[in-house]
Amino acid sequence: MWREIGDREAGKIRPNAFANRFKRNRIESLQLSNHKDIVSAHRGSINSLQVDLTEGRYLLSGASDASVAAYDVQRPTEYEGNGIIGKHKCLFVVDRTHESGHQYAVSSAVWYPIDTGLFVTGSYDYHINVWDTNTTQVVTNFKMPGKVYKTAMSSLATSHMLIAAGTEDVQVRLCDIASGALAHTLSGHRDGVMTVEWSSSSEWVLVTGGCDGAIRFWDIRRAGCFLVLDQSQSQLGRRPPILDRSATNKVSSSKSSSPSPNLPVKARAAQRKLSNGSSMKQSPIAKIPAKGPLRQRLHPGMLSAQDRATAHYGAVTGLKVTEDGMHLLSAGSDSRLRLWDVESGRNTLVNFETVRLQTSKPMQLATSQNSALVFVPCMTTVKAFDMWSGRTDLTFRGHYECVNCCYFSFQDQELYTGGNDRQILVWSPSRLVYDEMDEGPHQDQDNWSD
Amino acid sequence: MSIWNYVVTAHKPTNVTHSCVGNFTSSGELNLIIAKCTRIEIHLLSPQGLQPMLDVPIYGRIATLELFRPHGETQDLLFIATERYKFCVLQWDAETSELITRAMGDVSDRIGRPTDNGQIGIIDPECRLIGLHLYDGLFKVIPFDNKGQLKEAFNIRLEELQVLDIKFLYGCSKPTIVVLYQDNKDARHVKTYEVSLKDKDFVEGPWSQNNLDNGAALLIPVPPPLCGVLIIGEETIVYCSANAFKAIPIKPSITRAYGRVDSDGSRYLLGDYNGLLQLLVITHEKEKVTGLKIELLGETSIASTISYLDNAVVYIGSSYGDSQLIKLNMHPDAKGSYVEVLERYVNLGPIVDFCVVDLERQGQGQVVTCSGAYKDGSLRVVRNGIGINEQASVELQGIKGMWSLRSSTEDAFDTFLVVSFISETRILAMNMEDELEETEIEGFCSEVQTLFCHDAVYNQLVQVTSSSVRLVSSITRELRNEWNAPAGYSINVATANATQVLLATGGGHLVYLEIGDGVLTEVKHSQLEYEVSCLDINPIGENPSYSQLAVVGMWTDISVRLFSLPDLNLITKEPLGGEIIPRSVLLCAFEGISYLLCALGDGHLLNFLLNTTTGELTDRKKISLGTQPITLRTFSSKNTTYVFAASDRPTVIYSSNKKLLYSNVNLKEVSHMCPFNTAAFPDSLAIAKEGELTIGTIDDIQKLHIRSILLGEQPRRICHQEQSRTFAICSVKYNQSGGDESEMHVIRLLDDQTFDFISTYPLDTFEYGCSILSCSFSDDSSVYYCVGTAYVLPEESEPTKGRILVFMVEDGKLQLIAEKETKGAVYSLNAFNGKLLAAINQKIQLYKWMLRDDGSRELQSECGHHGHILALYVQTRGDFIVVGDLMKSISLLIYKHEEGAIEERARDYNANWMSAVEILDDDVYLGAENSFNIFTVRKNSEGATDEERGRLDVVGEYHLGEFINRFRHGSLVMRLPDSDVGQIPTVIFGSVNGVIGVIASLPHEQYVFLEKLQTSLRKVIKGVGGLSHEHWRSFNNEKKTVEAKNFLDGDLIESFLDLNRSKMDEIAKQMGVSVEELCKRVEDLTRLH
Repeated sequence: MWREIGDREAGKIRPNAFANRFKRNRIESLQLSNHKDIVSAHRGSINSLQVDLTEGRYLLSGASDASVAAYDVQRPTEYEGNGIIGKHKCLFVVDRTHESGHQYAVSSAVWYPIDTGLFVTGSYDYHINVWDTNTTQVVTNFKMPGKVYKTAMSSLATSHMLIAAGTEDVQVRLCDIASGALAHTLSGHRDGVMTVEWSSSSEWVLVTGGCDGAIRFWDIRRAGCFLVLDQSQSQLGRRPPILDRSATNKVSSSKSSSPSPNLPVKARAAQRKLSNGSSMKQSPIAKIPAKGPLRQRLHPGMLSAQDRATAHYGAVTGLKVTEDGMHLLSAGSDSRLRLWDVESGRNTLVNFETVRLQTSKPMQLATSQNSALVFVPCMTTVKAFDMWSGRTDLTFRGHYECVNCCYFSFQDQELYTGGNDRQILVWSPSRLVYDEMDEGPHQDQDNWSD
Repeated sequence: MSIWNYVVTAHKPTNVTHSCVGNFTSSGELNLIIAKCTRIEIHLLSPQGLQPMLDVPIYGRIATLELFRPHGETQDLLFIATERYKFCVLQWDAETSELITRAMGDVSDRIGRPTDNGQIGIIDPECRLIGLHLYDGLFKVIPFDNKGQLKEAFNIRLEELQVLDIKFLYGCSKPTIVVLYQDNKDARHVKTYEVSLKDKDFVEGPWSQNNLDNGAALLIPVPPPLCGVLIIGEETIVYCSANAFKAIPIKPSITRAYGRVDSDGSRYLLGDYNGLLQLLVITHEKEKVTGLKIELLGETSIASTISYLDNAVVYIGSSYGDSQLIKLNMHPDAKGSYVEVLERYVNLGPIVDFCVVDLERQGQGQVVTCSGAYKDGSLRVVRNGIGINEQASVELQGIKGMWSLRSSTEDAFDTFLVVSFISETRILAMNMEDELEETEIEGFCSEVQTLFCHDAVYNQLVQVTSSSVRLVSSITRELRNEWNAPAGYSINVATANATQVLLATGGGHLVYLEIGDGVLTEVKHSQLEYEVSCLDINPIGENPSYSQLAVVGMWTDISVRLFSLPDLNLITKEPLGGEIIPRSVLLCAFEGISYLLCALGDGHLLNFLLNTTTGELTDRKKISLGTQPITLRTFSSKNTTYVFAASDRPTVIYSSNKKLLYSNVNLKEVSHMCPFNTAAFPDSLAIAKEGELTIGTIDDIQKLHIRSILLGEQPRRICHQEQSRTFAICSVKYNQSGGDESEMHVIRLLDDQTFDFISTYPLDTFEYGCSILSCSFSDDSSVYYCVGTAYVLPEESEPTKGRILVFMVEDGKLQLIAEKETKGAVYSLNAFNGKLLAAINQKIQLYKWMLRDDGSRELQSECGHHGHILALYVQTRGDFIVVGDLMKSISLLIYKHEEGAIEERARDYNANWMSAVEILDDDVYLGAENSFNIFTVRKNSEGATDEERGRLDVVGEYHLGEFINRFRHGSLVMRLPDSDVGQIPTVIFGSVNGVIGVIASLPHEQYVFLEKLQTSLRKVIKGVGGLSHEHWRSFNNEKKTVEAKNFLDGDLIESFLDLNRSKMDEIAKQMGVSVEELCKRVEDLTRLH
């Protein structure tokens, strides 16, 4: 690291490249933390984890025992093991005993994106509660027609305060915190909605994944959805070659003779073929380029064939848009993970190495910095796949039962995972343990002979 | 200090990042345009060399600088894009000699992630479009319309994610780019795409080339008739086009910059990271390329940009060393080099570390920087002062005094220069050829030392020697009258003006003479109780040739006395205190205020306000100007009065806004000075120094003077030790012998005056010097150098081993006294409560200095604190420790004496990637971070809850646009007790671009006033290219963009002084104060740097 620091000092490496390189190194060394320990306050499986977006300091967890808890992940409550292991106990917990606590499992707990003054929970008791963090009192609540699977708020939103909710019901509901009323409903899914996710490039665009296997894109300012992802839509036309290629025989021959690239590379190449990259912030509808062999038209005139397209066989259990807003990851009960090109709506066909995914519950995926890795709960382990090749880069074994959720903290390059074993595990970049031990009395040495 | 800070540049950026050549200012003029990160300079090529035409700040870090010429234009336009996604097109307005903005805009996107390899901006050679690669996976196109106007931009998806370079190809019917990229398996390829403006998409291009040199990183498009592209790798250079492929191997090197020599594109200059300049030639038969040839031309500074100007003259812009203007000769010199350096342009960047020292102990800091990289590493001594422009000099030893004389009373210019030596007096005069030659004034006594000379009324000259006062006609040069000292007495000191002479002989006799036409009259004689050490009768009243007052400095009772003239009545007696006798006294008036200056034998200067009617002395102030006796002399330049204090630290004293100001003169030891205003050298000074007599003029403003000490290796850390009068540096020497490269890390000891290496301590293989400190420990009177190191092993991502070495300087050598192994890199060392505080990887560790039984010393660890990612930067104050973490902003630790433990007190929870920290005062800490911002945080001791007290509140934020490597307390100007500016605490910073800046903490009232001024100035001074100042200074990183707060842009505020009167009036009106008042307040600020 010293060499890179020296290069940064001398201007030989750009500061942002330096930071990215350092983050990458840290992510590669992720392992079960040897210095950070979260003392889970839950007696049920952990369903949802999120660190606040403002300071990256408070972890919010929701669990099946109807409890929600918050932890300070930056400042330990106490230390153990010679002051090296920081224990993080919960700052507060609200459970059934709380006067307005949820009655059944909390499936989703998210922070209000602007500050940590509020958080939102969704529960199988058909309710969405909005809490004041400081008083742990419910400020507003919304009654849903069925179990709430997932709630989400847009981190970009400047002109709305909407909670998007996916429930057992076929309709996606938008709850307005400002007015305390349901803003509107989005109809299209044919089964319950397991997962909802706001776009990372437009505050108006919402992505939802249903038990019907469909992933739908909505512009909430307009009626109906404007895009339904189709897993079979993958082949994009190559960029049209120029007509006269006679002059390039040498080069083209070298190209054709080269062995065909392996699948992941090809897949990735394919997904990037088309479309102009203009941002979606104005009107995604107007921006869909009028070219390519097949074009979805807009709801309500959308062809029924397109409207019935599926992204997964079975339910869509998890969604995650990438940081740069260009891709979407989805997980399904078909144990598949798919990477989609948002602009064109195509399946990129990246082959994520055999994953067996939990099928019955929504799952929370996470991506690393610069969207290089995706963290996926795979039964009792969590795997980190390379986003572009689908290769397994890292495997995290530590939970005793199925993992439901992961959250990756960009700020600390730490991964938080929660599972049915009621544990919240922290995976952090490795620290040299002996460095911590040095200078101290060698009391930790065991006295065993070989 | 306070939270209200004022940021100002003392030394502008000098790191040359871009350059281009074209007809910018007129179709017939060739211009060199240079970008220095946040500034652009426009030069005109003339037969005399490069003439600067304009140097303007840009409100942004320049990412792209390109000249282009749209159809139908007769001269080039300049395209600039900044790192914060703004662009502008500039045109030269020949009438006003200003830049006008043709177009501007924002090219940022919500989607995509910023490229790691930096932004690329290119312009189609046919001027059909501008291409920008700003985000991975996107290629932004700004098309031109038929009239050369820019149209709305759009993005095209680019498959290649790891793009290394993109260029436009020449000679294509449709705009075509060539992309050099790296794939998933780290193989590098090039590919071409046509840009279809109609479809807003790419079309597969005419050719591609796979599997290139692994080090290929640079594309050079070749203009017609050859067309195609050169791909510069580390081991091969390839020429590639649709129908040709030629490659040659080269000696392994990394090419940093290229410059095209001929417009037909057959020859290129390539500059590599070792500063070697090579010529690449494309051999061709008509339009068919037959091969490539490469030839080494010689060595230059390490080039970041190369611009071929004309007639074999080339501009080499450098980021790591001085930029150069070179000439390529037809034939090699003795060393085989074709390169001849015509001019060097100083570059301080990158300033990796620096220290502020006051080598002369006079309250003015000098900055000694570790500058440059690789072979161009250097130390630079940066010092503020007034420069002397030397015009002539002669070697003359042993000068004891100098006076200039006129050939007649009416003459406007001086003719004679009387130079006095221990046993003779020589007279120099300007002859007809404006040369200085020795002459004689017959009436003068030249066999003895002259004590004083002066012009007198009636075309006469006065010479005082130890035995007599001689009155000589300046016309006939004959003696007209002589006053002899009484027998047995010799004259010790004397002074005179046009009509009066005052002298003192041994025994305390004071004699006053008046000068008439051919007569010297002894008017008064008085005996004082002690010997007289110095005296002065400089007229400061209404009559410029007659003084009512005489001032006398005394031995024994150490006093100055004021006498009235002509009666020599004692008016005032001012005891000076102390034991140092006054050596020079001077009566002078600045801006209508009379002062008495009195210089002591130890380099101190006293000044008093003098009431000329009552003779009362008030407002006594004392400052130190040097260590040697001072001689005071007045001179005037451009109708302003100055006083020159000649000593080992020559100083010019002047007055501005009725305050006395002191400015260093950029000279060493001056023994004597006299004004010498001749027709050939108007307003000049004659200066006697170090066996030399120099004639020169003086700068009218003080500025930074830079002395370069080229090391040939890269210094990384520096510190100064006053006791041993040495500097110690950690330095890296790069060896390129025999093809393989190695680094050698050493600790060097340098003399603080000569900067010679006096001792070297080599570090182990793989061992790097990371930190250096001069300190002493409790219970030990010795002073040590402590060096922290790291073993950087190729297989380790983070060092796991390092050392702390404790050295003592003995007989000019570094003696290792103790060493302590650490479990990581020692990033920082601080003296802390008589102990040593080290930052080692994640940990802060405190060491005691222990005496072992055998009398030797060792470092013993006392306590530590964990919990950082990397504790890179540490500053301490009392028991407080402020840590700048690699990525977790600033935290505050406290050392608890009772428990002997270090605990965290508070921290800033923002995720700032730090590059430097400093403690401003007990509560406020300053930090610089990775995205070129600075910020302040404040300790919240009054917080109601633990949570509040445990948080450092962000109180100031500002985008500096510079990457700061180091803050240090100190000042570049003399801190005087009597000036307002002297009360303002300052911190100096050094940046990668070679900027030296000052952050000054202002009182709140002044801050509010200046903030108002800044707001007014923003409206009047528009940014080049229409870029917004407010946006530029807003704190910006990956996570957020917020308006600057509690920092003011001193560069903008001080540009008030450059405005024309009507604009000044406009602003003064808005501010509700007079222009004079505003000027005065801003001028005061300029004295901070």
